[in-house]
Amino acid sequence: MDQTAAANVQPAKSAKRRRFAPYRKNWSGYMFLVPAAALFVLFLWVPIIKGVVYSFYDIDFVNGNTYVGFDNYKTVFNDSEVGVSVKNTLYYMALCLLIGFWVPILFAIAISEIRRFQGIFRVAAYLPNVIPVVVLYGLWRWIYDPVGPINAFLGKLGADQILFMTDTRWSMVSLVIMETWQQFGSGMLIYLAAVLSIPKDWYEAAEIDGAGIWARVRHITLPSIKGLIMLMLIMQLIATSQGYQSQLAMLDGGPLNATLTYGLKIVKYAFTRLDYGVASAMGVLMFLVLGGLAVVQFRMQNRGGN
Amino acid sequence: MKAAERGILSSHDYRRPTTMVVLAIMSLVILFMVFTMLYPIGVTFMNSLKTVVEVNSFPPKFLPQGLEWQNFKEGWHYMDIPMFMKNTLIIFGGNVLVTVFVLGLAAFTLSKLNLPHRKLIYFFFLMTLFIPPSTYIVPNFVNLKDLGLLNSFWAFWLPAGASAFNMLLLKSFFDDINDEIFEASRIDGASNWYGFTRIALPLSIPIVATLSIFIFSAAWNDWFWPSLVMHGDPKYPLATAIYKKVIQATGLKQNIKFAILAMVSLPPIVVFLVFQKFILRGLHLGGVKG
Repeated sequence: MDQTAAANVQPAKSAKRRRFAPYRKNWSGYMFLVPAAALFVLFLWVPIIKGVVYSFYDIDFVNGNTYVGFDNYKTVFNDSEVGVSVKNTLYYMALCLLIGFWVPILFAIAISEIRRFQGIFRVAAYLPNVIPVVVLYGLWRWIYDPVGPINAFLGKLGADQILFMTDTRWSMVSLVIMETWQQFGSGMLIYLAAVLSIPKDWYEAAEIDGAGIWARVRHITLPSIKGLIMLMLIMQLIATSQGYQSQLAMLDGGPLNATLTYGLKIVKYAFTRLDYGVASAMGVLMFLVLGGLAVVQFRMQNRGGN
Repeated sequence: MKAAERGILSSHDYRRPTTMVVLAIMSLVILFMVFTMLYPIGVTFMNSLKTVVEVNSFPPKFLPQGLEWQNFKEGWHYMDIPMFMKNTLIIFGGNVLVTVFVLGLAAFTLSKLNLPHRKLIYFFFLMTLFIPPSTYIVPNFVNLKDLGLLNSFWAFWLPAGASAFNMLLLKSFFDDINDEIFEASRIDGASNWYGFTRIALPLSIPIVATLSIFIFSAAWNDWFWPSLVMHGDPKYPLATAIYKKVIQATGLKQNIKFAILAMVSLPPIVVFLVFQKFILRGLHLGGVKG
């Protein structure tokens, strides 16, 4: 207020001052943003830009970096394991959709209809999420063991033993089942909240119009949570396309590279072969693909929010 | 009253026998789901109380024959759990402080102070959400090395302040607080800093609690990144130590292994059961709005 009053008295001299007045008035506000901005630059923007730069360099911590042009990218495209890892990643993403994606939706709709003990079901479904993932690795190795409980059960049924971890046909499936088990609860609870927020009189009206139960689910419940389903789909695709931790911890990409995902290949290039340049190049390539997906997600989320 | 109580099914549907059969089957499936959720967790605790012979016997039994409590004692002595837990808590505590003061201050500024160009600044922060973390995991590591932060807790604390997602949550929380409180305090001569520390922060306990839960579960879970950033035992957080010493160990007896896993699972399970209302609400917040 004072500044504008002063500016009115001496218009010629203070044109510049007036232009900068809002900034000066808010100097403390801008100062408040400095720490966060500094950390964002230092720990997000710098690594992101460095990643692009490094992809053109041979990184050597001892003798210094040397510019190598597109050699790192050539290495990536000539490495046959990279092709395998892309295929495995797509397979992993498909399995996660096939095994994991629809389960929480189904259970959310089912549990929304249960009148009693709903709270217990929620807590039980979310409990695996709470367990540290390292515990998960130890636990599921035992469950999947050739002499573990699942194989004991199969034996009782007279079925053949399944080598969940060492059979190349099963190893990825086993990991996806394990991850579905762990993550199912959080997805289910998000869907459940959406299902429960659907106005009940819509069902009432549909029923009066003669809609059966299945018709009500199909024409009211599912369309109402369609936006959420799409959002969760994209979030899952983004998450699974980067997956490598359980593959690394449970099987180290084996057996016979059956669980070697693209993310794991990056990690192996960087931290096993210490070839940070090639690993950065793989990161840049991945960014080009995933960046598009992330933009789609953001657009949908904004639309959903408004 | 009646309209509010119905779900997809109405009381009319409940009278039909076919509906009841479907509902019964559905309930059984849900019970089966609950069983598959709880069984592996039960296995962890039951196996921790068995003898070595029992754990390795085939077919495996769920319940132990006797209660071998000394497994826990042996597991406790196998590795220095309190030290690793202390490291996890140090990381957790620092991350919460940085999140609240650095991100909270920035979120407060963008939400409550009428800065020119604040939309643009907000976009600068938010844009980082577009970039999937594993695409820059390698340069991130090299960057930490260049900054000389490897093997230091600062390598966790400082990057905690670079989370666009947490900033988003904080900002949307501040957006819901009424502007008038801050305007009134400003008219009374309070500074922006006063507005943040004395008005905004005390009001934001719910969101800080939710964020703390997220940060806790991240710190408690993360094993891979600390295994790269930290160089050895005295600095490893619990999850990394468990991975290196228990999951990868070959000579460790199965029952002791499970005793350690049970000990590590128990605190988060207890925390979850006690604070489940908070946690499940926070999950909703993070899942839909984030």
